[in-house]
Formats: sequence, structure tokens, C-alpha cells
Amino acid sequence: MTLPHFTPLAASLFSLLAIASLLLTFIMLGSRWLRDYMYAFGLQSWMIAVLSASMGYYAHFPELYLVAVLTALFRGLLLPYLILRILQRLGADRELHVILQPSTALVLGAAGVVFALVVAYHLAAAVGVSSQVVILALTVMLSMKLIGFLMLSVRHEAISHILGLLVLENGIFLGSQILIPGMPLLIELVILFDLLVAVACFGVLARYLMERAGTTSSLQLRKLVG
Amino acid sequence: MTAHDVLLQIGQVAAVLLLSPLVQGFILRYEERVQRARGPSLVQPYRDLWKLFHKELVVPEGASFVHFVAPVVAFTAMLIVPLLIPVLTDYPLPLSDMGDILGGGLILTLGGFFIALAGLDSGSAYGGIGSSRSVMVSILAEPTLILVFVGITLLAKSMLPFVVNHLLANHLAVYWSPAHIFLVCAFFILLLVETDRLPIHSSTHIEVYMIEEARVLEYSGPLLALVKWASMMKQFILYTIFCNVLVMPWLLSTQGTAAGALGAAIAVLGKFALVACAVIVVETAQSRLRFYRYQEPLAASFVLAALAIIANQIR
Repeated sequence: MTLPHFTPLAASLFSLLAIASLLLTFIMLGSRWLRDYMYAFGLQSWMIAVLSASMGYYAHFPELYLVAVLTALFRGLLLPYLILRILQRLGADRELHVILQPSTALVLGAAGVVFALVVAYHLAAAVGVSSQVVILALTVMLSMKLIGFLMLSVRHEAISHILGLLVLENGIFLGSQILIPGMPLLIELVILFDLLVAVACFGVLARYLMERAGTTSSLQLRKLVG
Repeated sequence: MTAHDVLLQIGQVAAVLLLSPLVQGFILRYEERVQRARGPSLVQPYRDLWKLFHKELVVPEGASFVHFVAPVVAFTAMLIVPLLIPVLTDYPLPLSDMGDILGGGLILTLGGFFIALAGLDSGSAYGGIGSSRSVMVSILAEPTLILVFVGITLLAKSMLPFVVNHLLANHLAVYWSPAHIFLVCAFFILLLVETDRLPIHSSTHIEVYMIEEARVLEYSGPLLALVKWASMMKQFILYTIFCNVLVMPWLLSTQGTAAGALGAAIAVLGKFALVACAVIVVETAQSRLRFYRYQEPLAASFVLAALAIIANQIR
């Protein structure tokens, strides 16, 4: 892993941003209202944008500024706006029938974070890196992925599925920003537009579901419609 | 151990004993003020205690010795805990090596345990409901409390509140670290739960949802005064741990002079007024949760404590 050496101030800034993103993931996990998920997601994207920009500043990758601006615009503004529009059209404002109570989900998420920490220690030891920032980035990345999977599996509104997917992706993006800051610009752009396509497709799919099945809850999709 | 230190230690206990009704009065008064009512006087809790101590003692039929012992045990437990924590001075005084943070927590819980026993003792329906509810809330709150203590211990590599106080007062980097901020948030939720505030406990006391008040419904006269005083002292002690150990570890007497102790007492009141304002905001903005959603704030607190431990491991 080619990792630049960070000053203590930079390291603490990265830690703070990463931990704040993790906290926002927990807010998404514990909230019942779909609108709150979306605001938390938007805020998280802004955190990651700030992380990109500060990484660009401290590690001297000028193209990261562009990535930061694009992240803030696309993930922080455009995606929440699109999802908000889908929400308004569907009229779904919260999960009606939860599979797991939010408190159980929170505790499961905490267990996921502990697991991610253990995995991160082993990974860092295997690669031979002992930097605290790397371990933190790995932990946050893995736990955001685990929580994203948890959200995908215990929620059943179509919108929650989109947001679970986005959280998962945010986690990977956050980890990549800290661990491999010098990724080619093209890859970052591809990821951004990929997400946009995913959300647009999901929007079309959700409207189709609403029209054909009369619901966007995946619980209702078990029976075959001939 | 000098006579001076012994006097200071007695002063710590006396401060908790005498100032705790004032904190309660402050919260009650300004909660009403926020809602644009006039509110009771600041010294109303003192008057209530005085009135209750002069009332006749009525004992329910079928009450055993537990009924008489429980208030005394609860009151005594609350007199012991101030010996262990920094109320006025930021250095250990005589007998403060009796127990660490866990020991203090144990004695605090002992008082609550005896009150729960007393609720069950007389066999009345309300007392039983109150006791079972409060035990359920403490089943939910205790693991988080222990986890917060573990977090504090890992942060300071020590279980003594004085060491934590010195670490946080002298090292700003530790004070502003995510681990400490998460611990403060987790402890604030616990503080609301343990001092009978919303979102779990109802703000008006005599009603169907009451928890703490239902346990002591059978008490009257001087015993009721002891129980009420003990619960005010518990609130004062938890505020002390929150302020002097975690959030505002400054402005304590470092030399132990009389003027310093007096100044520390005034500073403690100022700090508690700040915390009380935060509590009043929560009590005004938050409605009481449904019974089946009690675990949500406590799960949030649990997650914050777990995150604090994680953040501390990779600090």
C-alpha cells in the first residue's frame, strides 16, 4: 500500500471525518423515517467530500479537489434530490412493518463495528501497516459495508434498498479515499456516474412496482402475478 | 491524613446533602418558566422536605422491616458515594480509596435496589408495577453504564475518577477526541434515564406511567422525606460525575483551602445549571416514549459507548 505520511493534525482530521460518517450511518440504521435516512446520507456525502478535499491538500493530489466537488454535487445534492422526488411521488414516508426493531438493528450494527475492528487489525497486520489512520479507515469502511448489507437485508421498502446500496458504496468510497488516495480520476468519475445510473434505474423500477403491484414493499412481492 | 482533609471530605458530603434540593428546585422552576408558567420557588424542595419531616408516619398494613430499612439504606448509600468522587477537590481525600468508579456505581445501585424491594414489600399493586418497571429500565440501562465505565477506564487507563479528571483537564487532545465526545453523549442519555427524566420517565409525577414515584407511593412522613432526599442526592451525584469527571473537569479546588472549596462549590452550582438547562431543553422538546420504545434511547447510548471504545482503540 502506498500511503503518504500524515501529520498528526491531518490524521486527527481524517479520523474525525471518518468517525462522523460512521455515526451518520448509525443514524440511518436507527431512524424510522425515510426522509431522515436521506438527510443523513446527504450529510455523509458532504463529509466524504471534505475528506477528499483535505486528502488532496495534505497528500498533494490536486485532482482530488475535482473529485471532492463532484462528490458534493452528485452525492450530496443530486442523489438526495432525486430520491426526495421518488419519495414524494411514491408517498412512502416510513417503514410500516419493520422486520427488526431499530434498537436491535443498532446493537447488531455495533457488533458489526467490533467485528470490522478485529478484521481491520488482522488485515493491517497481514499487510504490515501499523498506522492508526489506516486501521481506522479499514474499520469504518468494513463496518459501513456491513451496516449497508444489514440495511439491505432487514428493510423492505424499495427506497431503503437504494439507500442501503448507497451507504455500502459510500463506505467503499471513503475507505478508498484514505487508503489509496491517488486513484486515477477516470475511475472516480465512473463510480459517480455509475451511482447516478443506479439511482435512476431504481427510480424507474420503483415507479413500475407502484404501478403494477401497488406497493414498493418487497414483502408484497413474494406472490406470483400471472 | 490530616484534620484539614477530613474536614474537606465532610464538606464534600455536606455539599451533596445540602445543595441537592437546590438543583432539583432549579430544574422544576425553569422547566415551568420555559413553558411560560411562573413555576415553584427555587427553595420549594427544602420546604417540602421540612414539611414531610414534620408529618405523621403512616405505615401500611403488612409492611415488614424492609419498609423501614430501605429509605435509610438508600439515604446512607447516597452519603457514601460523594466520598469516592471529586465533588469539591480534584485530588483524593481520606477514604476516597475505598472504591473506584465501579464501586461507586455499585453503591448507587444498592440504594435503588432497596427502594425496589420496598415497593414490592407492602404488596400493593402500584408498588409492584413501579418496582417491575424500574427494574426493567435498569436492566436496559446497566449494561450501557458498565460499557461507559469500561470506555472511561480504557481512555484513562485507570478506574479512579480523579485520574480521569486530571487527564481530561490537562490534555485537550484527549478532551476533544471522538472517544471522549461519544462517552459524554452516551452518559448524557444515561443521566436522563437515571434521574427520572423524559423520554422514559414522565414529567408529571402522579399518573399511570409513573415509575419511580409508584415505588414510593406507600411512604409517608419522614420516611418519604428520606426517599425523596435520597433521589435528589442521586441526581446531584450523577451530575457531579458527569460534570466534574467527564464534561467540565475544571474549576475544582486544587489546594484545598477554605476559599477554594467554597469557590468550587459555587462553580459546581454553575456547571450544574448548564447541565440542568440541557436537561430542561430535552424535557421540553421530547415527549414520553411508548413502553415498547424504551430500549431505543438506551440502544443509542449503547452504540455510542461501543463506538467510543472502538474510537479509543485506534486513537
